[in-house]
Formats: sequence, structure tokens, C-alpha cells
Amino acid sequence: MAVCVAVIAKENYPLYIRSVPTESELKFHYMVHTSLDVVDEKISAMGKALVDQRELYLGLLYPTEDYKVYGYVTNSKVKFVMVVDSSNTALRDNEIRSMFRKLHNSYTDVMCNPFYNPGDRIQSRAFDSMVTTMMIQVC
Amino acid sequence: MADEALFLLLHNEMVSGVYQAAEQGEGENGRCITKLENMGFRVGQGLIERFTKDTARFKDELDIMKFVCKDFWTTVFKKQIDNLRTNHQGIYVLQDNKFRLLTQMSAGKQYLEHASKYLAFTCGLIRGGLSNLGIKSIVTAEVSSMPACKFQVMIQKL
Amino acid sequence: MAAPGDAPPPVVYTMENKPIVTCAGDQSLFTSVYPTLSLQLPREPMEWRRSYGRAPKMIHLESSFVQFKEELLPREGNKALLTFPFLHIYWTECCDTEVYKATVKDDLTKWQNVLRAHSSVDWLIVVIENDAKKRNKTNILPRASIADKIRNDFCNKQSDRCVVLSDPLKDSSRTQESWNAFLTKLRTLLLMSFTKNLGRFEDDMRAVREKRTEPGWSFCEYFMLQEELAFVFEMLQQFEDALVQYDELDALFSQYVLNFGAGDGANWLAFFCQPVRSWSGLALRKPIDMDKRELVRRREASLLDLRSYLFSRQCTLLLFLQRPWEVAQRALGLLHSCVQELRLLEVSVPPGALDCWVFLSCLEVLQRLEGCCDRAQLDANVAHTVGLWSYATEKLKSLGHLCGLVSEEGPDSEDLNRTVDLLAGLGTERPETANTAQSPYKKLKEALSSVEAFQKHYLDLAQASMDMYSSIGRTRSAKLVGKDLAEFHMRKRSPQKAELYLQAALKSYVAEGWALPVTHTRRQLAACQKLLGQLEDYLQTSSLLASDGHLTEDERRYFCQEVVSCAQRPPDSPGRRILLPLESFAQLRELSFRPAGGAVHVGGTLAVDVTLSSRMPAPVPLEQLGLRLHFSAARGPAQPRTSSPSPCPPPLAARGGSPAPELHAVLERSPSDGDGALASAGIICRNVHLLLRAPEPAPGPDAPTRLVLEDGPHALHREGLTLQPGDNLVSFQTQAAEPGTYTLRQLWASLGPVCFLLPRLPPPAQYDVYSQEPQLHVEPLADSLLAGIPQRVRFTVTTGHYTVKQGDSLQLSNVDAMLVLWDADRRASVYSSDREKTSDTTLRVQASDRVTSIGLPAAPAYHVIEFELDVLSLPSAPAASESIGEAARPPWTTQDAQGAEPRMATTDHKVSIDCPWSIYSTVIALTFSMPFRTTHALLSAGTRKYVQVCVQNLSDLDFRLSESCLLDTEGSADLRLVPLHTQALQRLHSRQTLFFVWELLWGRPPPPALQCRFSLGFTPDAQERAPVALRPYTYDFRLEGFFTLYTVCAEIRPPPGAEHCRTGALCSLEVAVTRLSDLLEADRDEALAQGQEQLPTRLLYEVVDNSSNWAVCGKSSGVFAMPVAARATHRVRMEVMPLFAGCLPLPDVRLFKYLPHHSVHSAQPDADSWIENDGVSVDRPADEDSGSVRSRGSAHPAGSGEHRGLPMPRLQALPPGQVFQASAGRQVLVLPSGDDHVLEVSVT
Repeated sequence: MAVCVAVIAKENYPLYIRSVPTESELKFHYMVHTSLDVVDEKISAMGKALVDQRELYLGLLYPTEDYKVYGYVTNSKVKFVMVVDSSNTALRDNEIRSMFRKLHNSYTDVMCNPFYNPGDRIQSRAFDSMVTTMMIQVC
Repeated sequence: MADEALFLLLHNEMVSGVYQAAEQGEGENGRCITKLENMGFRVGQGLIERFTKDTARFKDELDIMKFVCKDFWTTVFKKQIDNLRTNHQGIYVLQDNKFRLLTQMSAGKQYLEHASKYLAFTCGLIRGGLSNLGIKSIVTAEVSSMPACKFQVMIQKL
Repeated sequence: MAAPGDAPPPVVYTMENKPIVTCAGDQSLFTSVYPTLSLQLPREPMEWRRSYGRAPKMIHLESSFVQFKEELLPREGNKALLTFPFLHIYWTECCDTEVYKATVKDDLTKWQNVLRAHSSVDWLIVVIENDAKKRNKTNILPRASIADKIRNDFCNKQSDRCVVLSDPLKDSSRTQESWNAFLTKLRTLLLMSFTKNLGRFEDDMRAVREKRTEPGWSFCEYFMLQEELAFVFEMLQQFEDALVQYDELDALFSQYVLNFGAGDGANWLAFFCQPVRSWSGLALRKPIDMDKRELVRRREASLLDLRSYLFSRQCTLLLFLQRPWEVAQRALGLLHSCVQELRLLEVSVPPGALDCWVFLSCLEVLQRLEGCCDRAQLDANVAHTVGLWSYATEKLKSLGHLCGLVSEEGPDSEDLNRTVDLLAGLGTERPETANTAQSPYKKLKEALSSVEAFQKHYLDLAQASMDMYSSIGRTRSAKLVGKDLAEFHMRKRSPQKAELYLQAALKSYVAEGWALPVTHTRRQLAACQKLLGQLEDYLQTSSLLASDGHLTEDERRYFCQEVVSCAQRPPDSPGRRILLPLESFAQLRELSFRPAGGAVHVGGTLAVDVTLSSRMPAPVPLEQLGLRLHFSAARGPAQPRTSSPSPCPPPLAARGGSPAPELHAVLERSPSDGDGALASAGIICRNVHLLLRAPEPAPGPDAPTRLVLEDGPHALHREGLTLQPGDNLVSFQTQAAEPGTYTLRQLWASLGPVCFLLPRLPPPAQYDVYSQEPQLHVEPLADSLLAGIPQRVRFTVTTGHYTVKQGDSLQLSNVDAMLVLWDADRRASVYSSDREKTSDTTLRVQASDRVTSIGLPAAPAYHVIEFELDVLSLPSAPAASESIGEAARPPWTTQDAQGAEPRMATTDHKVSIDCPWSIYSTVIALTFSMPFRTTHALLSAGTRKYVQVCVQNLSDLDFRLSESCLLDTEGSADLRLVPLHTQALQRLHSRQTLFFVWELLWGRPPPPALQCRFSLGFTPDAQERAPVALRPYTYDFRLEGFFTLYTVCAEIRPPPGAEHCRTGALCSLEVAVTRLSDLLEADRDEALAQGQEQLPTRLLYEVVDNSSNWAVCGKSSGVFAMPVAARATHRVRMEVMPLFAGCLPLPDVRLFKYLPHHSVHSAQPDADSWIENDGVSVDRPADEDSGSVRSRGSAHPAGSGEHRGLPMPRLQALPPGQVFQASAGRQVLVLPSGDDHVLEVSVT
């Protein structure tokens, strides 16, 4: 169960970011923004990486005492960042991976939505509700 | 195959639509190419997002170009690019000896003067795809004898 | 993860214990060999084949040799592995049988029995041979016989358990060989023993683990058990395997904790849930932390103890494996998970205890790594350690907060108590770090000791982790730490330090478009700047915040208030302006001019409408809102300019915006083949150079653009208005002064010293001021002026820069053909430049015979005076010469001639007007057109004559016509014109034609020509009584030779016998020309030409049938002489044949006067016509109108032409009046010829 889900543009500005509870929104914004450091690191490292490390899923970006931050980057260099509560130990890598897949799927739908032009903030309700399911769904 | 036919026909209609609009004086004719190209651009962006969803991450530029020539082209035009050449300086030439959008016109030089209309969209398609993969580029095209045609991709070095 | 290969191997804490090998038998002998042995044994590796399909390993064996004692052998059930003797060796160098029998044998037997008793089968007997010894012996047995004896005494069927080592202390090849053989044997046996015993051990262990669900099971016990194994692996330097053991334990424990969290708690776990009492971080310096181990063994370890111990072991092994960075990583994970586990197990932890533990642990790990890696390595692997650094920093910070060390007013008593408790929890410093200056323990103690110390340590740490972050390019993380630092500094009331960090952070957030962090950081920055008293920056930040939607309404209001109030505060230094960018305050939405187009005349007023949308949450009173103008006297064109700057897009949307490619289709024609066939078609890009240029870094939105408030003479102000939130429409009024172009440059809004400035208006907006010359226009109201009746014209005076004073007047120099009419109540109205009526006065007009002067009403500059006057152009007859052309036209044909709309005859009148503003007089031309078109015709009936005048109304008006009259201007006696039409006044509607007919009566022979004038009174039907007496419309014309001289009568008779003509049958045409009168004035001249005696006039007749109903057979024309006498008749006969059946009109018969060439009058021969016509030239009208003849006036087309050479006869048309076609209009019935099958009917 994610506490924060963010979609970040090529140019590193947030296309979409949502978190629960909303009062700690700011904290998550900072966290996600900071996590971009690691994302960049991983992506650039990926340049020289071997084939097997060429998965879109970047794995755990970094853990903090209370949260685990996971990353995912699409081929279009759009980054997904998901923050998970550390106490939620049931969540294994595979669940995270599949959650990212779901995220990616609905992001592609957004991209193909005529009312969305690439680079704008994501307003799509469909996307939003999908994220909601991720946030409440207990894996 | 129906989907393919649909795409081809739709594309034809689009081209003629744009040009008719230009006849009625919305925008001078030069813009038509650009207009079509821009349509292609947006479509390319969307398509590439879909197509690369399940592919591994790309190693480098060349890797991406290969993807465009193989998977992308196959999905859109039901065949691969026949020949990809590059100078390793950011210029790639994609040669398609039997370009789908031209095949339904008569081969050879007949209608040659109209050929470029039917390439503009695809130019945009490539440019849009690449740009969504983070590669800024300019795509131009050339036909000397239909249905064979070349697309030239000039990549903007960042 | 592994350290770079080139790095030196880490310091390895070799374990003191090695696999134990006991030695029995001859001790002294063993000691003599021992050095070599211990040296040789590890030298060569040996392959160790493992059970459970584990990969074989090469091992360098070592062992500690101890003297054999029975108590060394493990009792039943003792699982200890470390102390387990893996091999037992018996040493002897006995070489004679006696000795053997006597002592050695028994000894051996005893030894074996002991072993057997403990069921240990790993033993070896070594026999050492010594040549030296042998020499001084007498009874020598064959070599190795002792060994043989021993073999069959002891080693039943495992003879390899007895080896001979010969001359171990010599060095000879033999010695070498035997050593090698021996060592190999020794190693093999050792390994066999390992395999056997470890295998057994592992089985036992596994069995224990299987029991873990049973109630009595204890983790600690199991821990000890598996660790034993780990130890052994470590002992064998199989660190990998050793590590695996610990990792398994780790995983097992974690799993238990998780399960506990999930609900099913193993009871043994309960023990780990005891409240944390000591938090003296990790201890990694000793290979084995024995006292912690002891705690575990005694089942007294707390969770932290267990974890610490476990990790210290893992750490050690990882270091052995030269994977220091993994240590760092695992450490971070461990610390986090510990915190989590404590939470999960709901272990009660004193506040801050964990922070201490984590802090100490971080530092411990870091120092441990520093201990075993050199700088270069450390720097190269910052990425792995930085996490620990920042974690430590974080923890120290929270400790600081906890112990009240960050507040400026130091810690209070309870803070101190808390601190004391915390320190107590650290216990005493461990001996191994006691004498290291910077030990974590010391650091923490010191840091918590005083505010200053804390600050120092905290800053150091934070700085360190910041530098590390930035050194590995994790700028964002660095910025975040920076922000913490800033917060710290703020708490310490040292904003100047904070500011930089905040600025840096803010910059990156803004640059990457992270709204919330931006807002948050900005708020901090604001506070900071306020403290620093950086008024300018503070105001800017506040205004930005005030317009920030992410803040609550109240906060926004607060910052807005800040700006306003600060503006009201009297400026510290008078005249000092604080310039701030306008965007933060308000946004220029739209800008437009009134009048639109932004062109205004000098002195005119122009309004600039500015739509400014205020971003402030509350109304803001502005002292002044201003527009800075740039004036250029260069007169620019005044095309309309209305600019609406698009609201500036978000910085990021702009970022993507690179110029779009300009694509064009191109066709390439091959130059080779001439027809230029297409070689190729394609698409090219026109602006490649633009696009492929590497993008210049777009300046961040907050790029420091120097704001400069331009000053200059030209500006527009509005004082004291209040900007409401949202859109405000402000319009600037200006009185246009000197002509030129005014460009809008800057927009500023000032409140007190604060001045929000828009340094450049997005699109260049400008307006033009022009000055204009005064002008006079005169144009008719109707589209065309009609002559003869009063017509209205409008006078328009555009005053331009000239001011019309009272008494200024226009002087019209009169034209006699045109009158200017006016009446008393004519009004002149004055309009302002934008067409609203300002005044309206009666017009004063005086007229002398020369000039008419029109007094203008006083009017200011750039106004328009308008008034209307009537003008009357006197109607005059147009030259009527060619109108005789109509003469013979039958009346009915005149009608359809109207079809081709004839144009009105026009006359121009030029009036010169003197205007008060200029010395030159303006000349205006008015064109009047004649409403009527008049034609006349002379009609004959035999000798009776009628004059027909046809008046056509071309105008759109209807007219009332009165007293039409026709009179002979020569007034020749007894010539009367008797009107045959009605005399009453008539209406002539638009586009209508009216005919007047007079009969011409005379007594005496009339004059050859008549000069007539037709006159007609007319008034427009519309208006009653014309303002002035209108002149009648007159039309002059001349009638010539109107008296009939000849009648021509043609007749066609059917061929004799037939009573009707038939097609194709020849009929006879008889033409009779009769002279009606004697010599008359009319043809006097010709007569004179012949001298006195009366020569007969020579006439030429011609029969033409241009409707080709008739075929004329034989000659159709001929000349004959006609005596000048009344009743003289000439007849001509000829044959004609009707070509059609039906009632056919007769062919025309034309009559000409024939003048032979010798006649004087042929003085001007007509070469052209001669060339045209064979033999005779005919003044034949171009149009073949039947009987239409040229009037005398145009009788000599080239008459005035120069004389030509050869003389030749001429034909002269007779004036229309002189010939009367008696048979005109008569028809002959022609029947179709009987034998015709087809009946042709031609209708004419």
C-alpha cells in the first residue's frame, strides 16, 4: 500500500503527485524530489549496465527509517516514484513491481488521451482513481 | 489486416482533408506539410509510450533507432525498415523499399509530385516517437521512385 | 559492491583458534619436527569436496597441535566444534624391535583404546626414520620394518593410517619427498575429518531448527549452535560460508519478528521485548564481541544486543571478504529495520535512546570503514557511506531538539535530566575505543554536553554529509540537508547563514517546478529575510507568497499586508526606491488604445486601457500606476495596434518549447532530360541550423534580471487607485502633445518606496500622434448632380490644426453657368474628431455678383464643419448636330434604341474657393449631368413635313414638363410650326421618353435650312414650387433640305399572265422617280454649278435588298438625268425574283446625286472612298440602315482633307427631306411556286 505516488516528467517536474495523509504532503514532496537524485544515479549507471539490468523497474531507491522509496522509469524517461510505509513489511519487490506496471499502463492511457497534451500536469480522473486503488489496496 | 487498411485509408483521408482545408484558404499550402507532421508528432508520442511499455530500457541512441526500425515500424507499417545507416554523428537514414503509405499508389514516378504529402505524417511519427524517448531530432524524407523512400533523422546533440 | 581490486587488502583479524590436532607419543620428537610442520602444512592448498553438493573449495590448512589428553576428547552430546580435535597423531622414531615391543606398542595400544572409547576414528601414526640413529645401533632391522609391524598390529585394513617420515631435519630430495607424502596424507585426513564431523554437526543443527515451533525451543540456543558452525568455517577461512550462517540467523530472526507483528509470537521472542536499557551503539572493532555473545548465550541479550552482535559478526566477515561497502549498506538497512522491529515488538524505548543508538552505530560503522580503507577508497565510495552520514546528522539533530540544544536559550532543567538519562544509557566507553580521540562515544557525549559543542558537531556532520552529497552529484539531497542547516541556523537566530542555503534550495525547486517545496522554502526565506532586514528581498518574497495559491488565504493576506504596511512605513533613506518585478504582484493581461488603432491627432485625447490582474488576495491601494513611454519624433504609420500579452506560461511549459521545424515539400527535377521530369520528391527542413543548435540553457524563472526603472519626460500616471484582487481595468488618459510615435516601455505600480516594475511590455505597443492640414471637401449628396434643377452639395471642412475663428469664411468665386442657392435657415454643424456634434449654427452667406462668401462657424482644431448648399447648373442644349441622324429612323425603332442605356451628357463647373487657412484657393470641380437626352427627326408625308422632337428622361427623377415650344430662330416669314401634341403640362417619369410633333407649314418656297430651338420648362416632380425660377431646357437644331424634291415609287408586278408573284419566277420591278418642284433654293447650288442654263440633275439610283428577299437580275443601279422641272419623271425597269414566299417588303431604292468628275465640286476627290468602291465612291453611311443618309454636315468626311490627285465622279446623298419613299413599307404577296415541294415561308 503506497502512501505516495508520483509521476515526474523528463525534466523532473511533477506531472502528478498524490499522497496520504494529505497533511504530510509537503514531506512527501521533498522526499520524492530528493529521490530523483538516486533515480538519476541509477539511470546514468544503467547506461553502462548489462542487459539484465535494463528493467524499467529501478527497485528500492533508498530506505528511510519510516519509508521505502521505490523507483521506475519509462523508456520515455518519465519517472514513477512510489513511497511505501516501512512498517508495511508484507510488501515484497514483486508487488511493488506489479504496482508500477499498473501505473505505467494507465500512464500510457493518459498519453493517448486526446485531451492530454504531453508535458502537462495529469488531471485524468481515470488515472487518479487507479492511483487511489493503489493507495488503499493492502497487498 | 483490417486495422492496417483502416490506418492507410484514414491516413489518405487526413492528407486530403488537410490539403482541402488549405484550398479553402486556411493557412497557405506550405503549412500543410508542417500540419501533417505535427499530427504525426503527437501520434508518435502516444504510440511510443505504448510500444515501449514492455520493452527493456534502451542502451543508447542506436538501440533506440533499431527499435524504431524494427518493432515500431513493424507495428505501424507491418514490416521492418529495410536498411538503417548512420554516420555515428547523429544522422540516421532509414530506408524502406516498400513503404506502406505509398504502395497503394501506383509505383514508379507517377504521382511522384504528391508523394511528399504522404510522408509528412510519418516524419512526424518518427520525430514524436524519438522526442518522447528523449531524443530531439528533425526528420526529413525523400522518394525517388515509389514505393521506396528514405527518411533522414538528424539528431540534436544536447 | 566489492572494494576495487587494486585496493590493498583490508586488515584481517585472524582468529587465534585453528582446528585442533592432538599429538601423542614422543613429544620431544614432535617438537623437533613441529616448526617445519607448521610451516609446511598451510603452504599448499588442498581441494575440499563438500557434502550437499556444495562447490569444492581449495583450502590452506592450518592447525594447532596440542598434546593428546583424554579430556580433550568431546563427551557424548557435546556439540562444541571449536574445541573439537579433528585428528590425533601418534609420533615415534623407534627403530628396533625390542624397544618397540617393550614400550611403544603398549603405549600405542593404550592410545588407540582411548580413541576407540570416544569413537573417534581420525588418527594417524607417524614413524620417523633417522639414519644417524641407525649407525650406532648394532642389530639393524630392514628399513621400515617397524612401520610394517605397526601397520599390521594397529592398522588392520587401513594401512594408510601409518606413514613414515624419513630424516625430516635433513634437506635432501628424499627428505622432501617423504615430507610431501606426509603432508598430503595429513591434509587429506584432516579434510576427511572435517567433512565427516561438520556434516554430522550440520545434520544435528538442522534437526534442532526443525524443532523451532516446539514450545521449549530457544532462538539463542540455536544461535549458538549455528554460530559454532560459522566459527569453524571462519576458522577454515571459509568466510563466505560463515557469513551465510549469520545471514540465515538474521533472516530467521527477522521472520520471527515479522510473524510477531503479524500476530503469532514465539514465546522466546517475548524476552527480546524487554525495555531497552542500554543503547551503546554497535561495536565493530573486535572480531568477536565476547560479552555480547555471552549475553546472547545466557539469553539475556536485548534485541539491540542481538542485532549489534549479529551485525558485528557479519561486518567482520564482510571485511574479511573485502566487501567494506556492503557493510555500509547493510548497516543502514540494519539501523532502519532495528527501529522498525522495536516499534513492531512495541518495545518501550526511552525518548532519544534510539537516536543515540543509531547515531553511535552510524559513526561506528563509518569509523570502522575508515579504519580499513584509505582515503582514496573512501572518497570513491561516498555513495555508499553518505547515507550513514546523513542518518547520523538527522539523529543528532533530533537529539539536539530533544535536549533543548538548538533553541537559543539553551536547555532547561528537564532537558538536562533527559540528557543525563541518555548518557547513562550509553554506559561506559568500551576499552577498545577508550584511547581514540574521536570515538563515537566521545563525540556523542561531547555533543550533548553543551549548546556550543552540539552546534559544532552538528554543523560538522551536516556540512560533511552535504559535501558528500554534492560530491556525488546528489544535489537535491544536498539541498535538503542544506535546508535542515538553514532551519537550525534560524533557530539559532543566525539568519545570514541560513539565507544562502534557503536561496540555493529555493532555486532548485523553482527551476524544477516543485510548487509545494517552493512555497514552503519561500516562507522560510521570507522569515529569514525579515530577520536580516533585507527589505527589498523580503518584499519580493512576500509579494510572491501573497500571490501563491498554495498558501492559505490568511497567510496570503498576511504577506500582502506585509508588503502594504512596509510600503507605508517612511523610507529609511528618502528617495530610495525598492524595485520589484511586477509579475509577483500583478499580471498585465491586456492593453488596448482608445481610439483603437492608437492614432490620435495633436491635442486629441488618447486612452490606454490596461487590464491588470492583481494576484494579491486583498485590495491594494496604489500610490501610482504608471506607464513609461518612449517618444520618437519619427512619424510612424498609424496602423491599428491592440496588443494583448498572453499570460506568461509556466516556466516548464516554456522549457519544452523549442522552435518547431519548418518543413517544406520539395520536388527535384533531373537536369539531365530536357523535359525536367521529376527525379525525386521529398520533405526538407528549412530551419535545421536553428533546431540542431545545442539549446542554450534557459535562464531560470527567477534569473536575476536587473530591474531598472527608466526615467524620461514621457509617462502616463494614475494616482491613488486601489487594485482589487483579480482583473482591474485601468485607463490612462493623455492629451496628445507633439506628433510622433510613443512606445509603451514599462509599467510600474508604486506604493511608497516600493515599486513593482514590469521592465518590458511583452509585445511592443505604441501609439502615434499626428498633426493634420485643414481641408475642404465638397461632394454632392446624390451620386450625380443634375443640371437645371437645384442640387444639394455638402461642404465638409476638416479643420485639422487650424482653429476656425468667428468671421472666417469661404469665398466662392462665382461661375455664371452655376448658381449657388441658399435659404436663410441653412445650418452648419460642427463635429468633434470622433463624430459627435458639438455645435449647430445657422449659416451666413452673402453673395455679390463676383463671389459668394460663406461665413464659417467658429470651430476648434481637429473638428469638422459640415453644411449643405444647393447649386444650380443652367441647363444647356448639347450640340445637336448628329441628332439629325435619327431623321429617317422610324419612330418605333427609336424605342428599342433605348435598350442600350444612353449616358447623360455632362458639364463640369470649376469653382475656386478661398479658404481662410491658406493663401491658395482650392479649386473644386462639380460635374452636372443633363437629365434629358433629346433627339429630333424630320418626318415627311409626300410634301408635308413634320418635326418630331423626342425627349428622354435619363435621370431617376420624375419631371413635370410645361410650355414646350419649338420655334424657328431665323424667324423666316410665313413659316408656321403647328404643334400636333397636347399642350397641357405633362409628366415625364424616370427613364421615360416623350415625343413632340409639329407640322411644318409654309407658303412661299421655304428656305433650304431651318434653325430651330426646342425649349421645355421642367421641374422635378417631387418638390413643389422650385426655390428659384428655373431656366427652361433648350435644345437647338437645324433642319436642312427639308423640302421634298423627289418621290421614289417602286412597284413589283407579277409576270404577265400570272396574277401573283411566285417564288423563283421573275417579276418586273418598276421604279418611278418624280421631281416635284422646279428649281429651288434647296438645290440651287448644283444648278449654279452648271452655269445659268438648266442642266438636268444627274441622279443615281440603286436597288438594294439587304433582307435578300429578292434577287435583282441585271444591273441594280444606274445614273440618269432628271430635268429640273416639276412633274419630270424617270422610270426604270428591272427584273427581280422573289426568293421566298409570303408578303415581302419591296427592295429599297436609293437615290443619290451624281456629280461627274469634271464638275468643279469634284475638286476634292475622295481617294479613300475611291479605293474602297470600284469606280464610284459613295458617301455611304457605315450602317446599312434603309434609306439612312448622311446629313449635309458630314457630307464630306475627309472634306477638309488635302487635295488628292486624280479627279473622279462623286455621289452625294440627298438630304433626307428631299426624297420621299412613296412605296416605303409596301409589301408584295408572293406565292410559293407550284412545283415546290417544300413551302418556304420567310417572315420579315
